[in-house]
Amino acid sequence: MPKLARDLLFPLIAVVAAFIVGGILILLVGDNPIVAYRLLLGSALSWPDGIGYTLFHATPLIFTGLAVLVGFRCGLFNIGAEGQLYIAAFATAWVGITFASRSAWILVPLCFLGAILAGALWGAIPGVLKAYFGSHEVINTIMLNFIAVALVSYFTQYHYRVPGDPILQSAFVGEGAHIARLGKFIPGFPERIPLNLAFLLALLCCLLVYLFLWRTKWGYEIRATGSNPTAAEYGGISVRKQIVLAMAVSGALAGMVGINEVMGYRYRYYDGFSDNYGFTGIAVALLGRNHPVGVILAALLFAVLQHGGIYVDGFSEHITKDIVQVLQGIIILFVAAEAFFKWSLGRFGFRRLKA
Amino acid sequence: MKYKLVVLVALIGLVALALTGCQETTASEDHSKIRVGIVFDIGGKDDRSFNAAAWQGVQRAAKDLPIVLRDIEPGTPNAIEPAMRAFAERNFDLIIGVGFAQAPIMELVAKDYPNIRFAIIDGESKLPNVASLVFKEHEGSYLVGILAAKTSRTGTIGFLGGMDIGLIHRFAKGYEEGARSVNPNIRVIENYVGVTDAAWNNPGKGKELSLAQISKGADVIFTAAGNSGLGAFDAVEQQGKQNGRATHFVIGVDSNQNMVKPGFVLTSMIKRVDNVVYDIVEDVVNRQFSPGIHVFGLDKDAVGYSMDDFNKDLVSPDALQAAEAAKKKIIAGEIKVTDAIGT
Repeated sequence: MPKLARDLLFPLIAVVAAFIVGGILILLVGDNPIVAYRLLLGSALSWPDGIGYTLFHATPLIFTGLAVLVGFRCGLFNIGAEGQLYIAAFATAWVGITFASRSAWILVPLCFLGAILAGALWGAIPGVLKAYFGSHEVINTIMLNFIAVALVSYFTQYHYRVPGDPILQSAFVGEGAHIARLGKFIPGFPERIPLNLAFLLALLCCLLVYLFLWRTKWGYEIRATGSNPTAAEYGGISVRKQIVLAMAVSGALAGMVGINEVMGYRYRYYDGFSDNYGFTGIAVALLGRNHPVGVILAALLFAVLQHGGIYVDGFSEHITKDIVQVLQGIIILFVAAEAFFKWSLGRFGFRRLKA
Repeated sequence: MKYKLVVLVALIGLVALALTGCQETTASEDHSKIRVGIVFDIGGKDDRSFNAAAWQGVQRAAKDLPIVLRDIEPGTPNAIEPAMRAFAERNFDLIIGVGFAQAPIMELVAKDYPNIRFAIIDGESKLPNVASLVFKEHEGSYLVGILAAKTSRTGTIGFLGGMDIGLIHRFAKGYEEGARSVNPNIRVIENYVGVTDAAWNNPGKGKELSLAQISKGADVIFTAAGNSGLGAFDAVEQQGKQNGRATHFVIGVDSNQNMVKPGFVLTSMIKRVDNVVYDIVEDVVNRQFSPGIHVFGLDKDAVGYSMDDFNKDLVSPDALQAAEAAKKKIIAGEIKVTDAIGT
């Protein structure tokens, strides 16, 4: 049995099993599981709003999933994607506001650069601390999250907020910093749906991350460091450099969330915009088996659950937001516990399926 | 072996198709009734305060009036717009947004659906299909300020705000003015939980700030902090009772919170979000919906303080008299309470 099919089959079985267990829960609450699941999937996959919003919700998760993946491949646990994306989103807005009068030809690349550099820089800090001072990246990234969130909140509150605005958000970025929504190119797909070019950028990044990690010398060195730092060092690879590089690339990827949020959706920095994208990115990377294609699929799963969940909360008889969250949790838990399915299937005669 | 696999994959595909294939038919598709959708704030409908009041209002409306009611708790800022659109797509007759933070999003959505009526609580919009429902919180806060100053023995009282914004400054200013009308030298300690949406949902920090205020001598604390305000309730309860009477008191907000910690809650500055929400639903049912900015103050009994069995022994008759007298004067226009937002 081909490896790809096997990699896809077990998560799929896990999802179905999770839906069955979730269905029992829905029955206990007093709703019809079929109706609830139709609501969940039907609204998340309806054309054009459902698909549009689902892909829009998936975009930041692809970025953060990739960010965590790159860290993992170097043996680093980057919990700091949340902070990196906040700093980057604010930097994007800062560039967009400061150079607001420039044309799109200058402003778009400038804003991209702002997002990527800010993310990379914020990611590189724990990288340097780990590589040269040996302090653990988990602690440092967590702490840098707090610093990042508070820092951008402070700057928005006291320096970049429009006076009198009750909402904690910056002024608008210049028109030149807007990137097109996909509705512009797809007939029958309204432009009010915030799905934008950043989604295509996310897909492109998946390809680039794949090429970088598996087809370049740097990627090889990062993976070598990840599998065995001592051996890598012995083989002539500078482990320190790889750690800093991996964290910077990881931060840059997380930072691109700012492109989606600021340049494609709100056109301003909105404080507290992230729905824990950085942390969900960890789950996305793990569910996606630390592979770019897996990251896309996992991000889509999370996005479907999030967008469909809104409808289940709204239009079912008894299911509330809490039950929706429990359902989401069950599905993720089952997919993560794939090994269990491999084992149980092995017992029921699918022996050759076992990895 | 191969067959088993094919059958398995086919089965999974079939289930997926069956689930996505047809559209659902639930009560929300019943077009004979007026359909009302409500989108809550980040705090959620169980905050026992602002959102809870709105939730009570629509639930009461659903009981009395021929409507279908649906609600969504977005839980995150990026889910508010899709939530509102979820109702709009299905052509709901009235969509209610709870909280000022939803105003800009509602403007976006309301523009796309000019035939659907929208109502925003605490926010303002000038669109022709949006009713803005705003309150004179400073008037109600003035009255509880009087009660606080009359009750305080230390001459120091506290104010715990949620997010540090104009709307909450309105509570703080009115409270301070009311207290000073009783005791010009009273000390008012003002603290805010934070500057982001998360400030509404952080009872831990609310408690911490309240304990700090208590240590500085405050013996009455007025909270206007959504879910975070519940921290002040804990802090005050922790101070215990002497001779059967609490040493420190908290003043609740938005909903009647007197029963949250009986004996420790002096009163609640109630904002009748429930009545106002009920009325707007009734207006839509009677086809009398009117857009524009609607202001609700003491004169319409939309703000005020709550008295019930839980606090009737806590508030002195003298304090009650002073508050009632001030209420009459405010309605008559003899006392002008400063509005911190200035509109």
